Amino acid sequence: MSEDLVEVQVDAEKCIGIGNCEMLEPEVFLLNDDTGVASTVGTRLLSLERAEKVVAGCPSGSLSIRAAK
Amino acid sequence: MMDIATQEIYLQGIPHEDFAKLRATEGLVWHPYEDNGFWAVTRYQDVRQVSRNPEIFSSAIGHTNLWDLEADALEARRSLIDSDSPSHTRLRRVVSSLFTPRNLLVWEETIRRIAGELLDAYLEEGGGDWVEKVAAPLPIQVILSILGVPLEEADYMVELTNHLVGGTTGQQNPLPDDAYGNTTPVRLLPFNSPASHALFEYGARIGEDRRQSPQKDLVTQLVFAEVEGISLTAEEFRNFFQLLIFAGNETTRTAMIHGGEAFADFPDQWQRVLHDPNLVDTAVEEVLRWATPVLHFRRTTQVATQLAGTDIAAGEKVVMWYASANRDETVFADPFTFDVGRQENDHFAFGGGGPHFCLGAFLARLEIRVLIEEMRERGICLTKNSEPVRLDSNFVHGVLSLDLAAQGGSTV
Repeated sequence: MSEDLVEVQVDAEKCIGIGNCEMLEPEVFLLNDDTGVASTVGTRLLSLERAEKVVAGCPSGSLSIRAAK
Repeated sequence: MMDIATQEIYLQGIPHEDFAKLRATEGLVWHPYEDNGFWAVTRYQDVRQVSRNPEIFSSAIGHTNLWDLEADALEARRSLIDSDSPSHTRLRRVVSSLFTPRNLLVWEETIRRIAGELLDAYLEEGGGDWVEKVAAPLPIQVILSILGVPLEEADYMVELTNHLVGGTTGQQNPLPDDAYGNTTPVRLLPFNSPASHALFEYGARIGEDRRQSPQKDLVTQLVFAEVEGISLTAEEFRNFFQLLIFAGNETTRTAMIHGGEAFADFPDQWQRVLHDPNLVDTAVEEVLRWATPVLHFRRTTQVATQLAGTDIAAGEKVVMWYASANRDETVFADPFTFDVGRQENDHFAFGGGGPHFCLGAFLARLEIRVLIEEMRERGICLTKNSEPVRLDSNFVHGVLSLDLAAQGGSTV
């Protein structure tokens, strides 16, 4: 199963705090209360399907997938 | 001759036939405008490309509307809308944490109460002008509540922002230059309107008040907001206040107007929503696609580039027509059908993505969802008494009035 899990990374320079990622995957993404910038928290891992959905749902194009170690 | 720029055309609605021809034309079409012209970007993928490449397609050069502004006018009016990074990133960071879904959801009950009161009064009168009675008061009362501006000011704020929209129409500005005590040359004011002066004045006054006596509201948060130790300058604050009052009400209002009209025009679609609460979320997205409140934004090339196989020189106007992208037949199945259950609906009502994606998108969606839920709750059915009176603007998909009849008690 683990080969299906991937990590999504946030480009903090591009992020404008829309918050779709936090709404979709609250256990993986958290928006900073001061800057609104997203970061990953917890296990940081998602199934490829859910990762692709959250990446496509980011209007600023700040998310990308990288294979988990 | 195709024409998508003349203001008066929009009195008959969006020129969809011309947009369809433009979408079907290979490459980009150079559209004449005043003594020069612009590249008309009308296909979905091309709008996406322009939106997401700000290092090529600038918001800070020239203007984000069709006409150019002189450098001093551009500077005096500059807000989030007409900035590039790094200043755009800084301004956006000052406010983005205040507009996250988590922080906006606390307003849901307030929105529900306002929507409920307006709909009850509307039903009691059997309908009337949907714009004046529901679509205009709801978003302005919400944004004023969030900002901390007293609700007694709602009519005054709607009056002022209506004048700003008027500045984008064929009539231009009907106000004398010194209206509202304005002494600034109008070319330095947003929308060339002395009403901007009134909004600036109001914003400066309430900002100063909150600096002295902080409240739990957005104005207070804005005057004290800091990113990397830097807060907003007085000019940035006043331009921001003006932008929030304008964008926080005119756009959502326009979406609600076209939504109300669509539910009256396509009663079978409204019946689907009434019968199935699972369709509310897709109905919200379809209202947004259908309405496309902002018809276009312009970018200006910083460097020579190519788009859709067409060479574009540096310094040329590139105009993204969201109204056309949202009817792109290669992306949306039957784009001219209003379908409340539409599945693939990644529309550009909030722009094509990238750094300028609408700051208020979540709030707008929340307001439209609550409006639809409260209409369902009351079993409201709308029918048309007469056709809408449209605004002659190529920028805002505006409607001045829309006379509907409303009947409640439709149960499922």
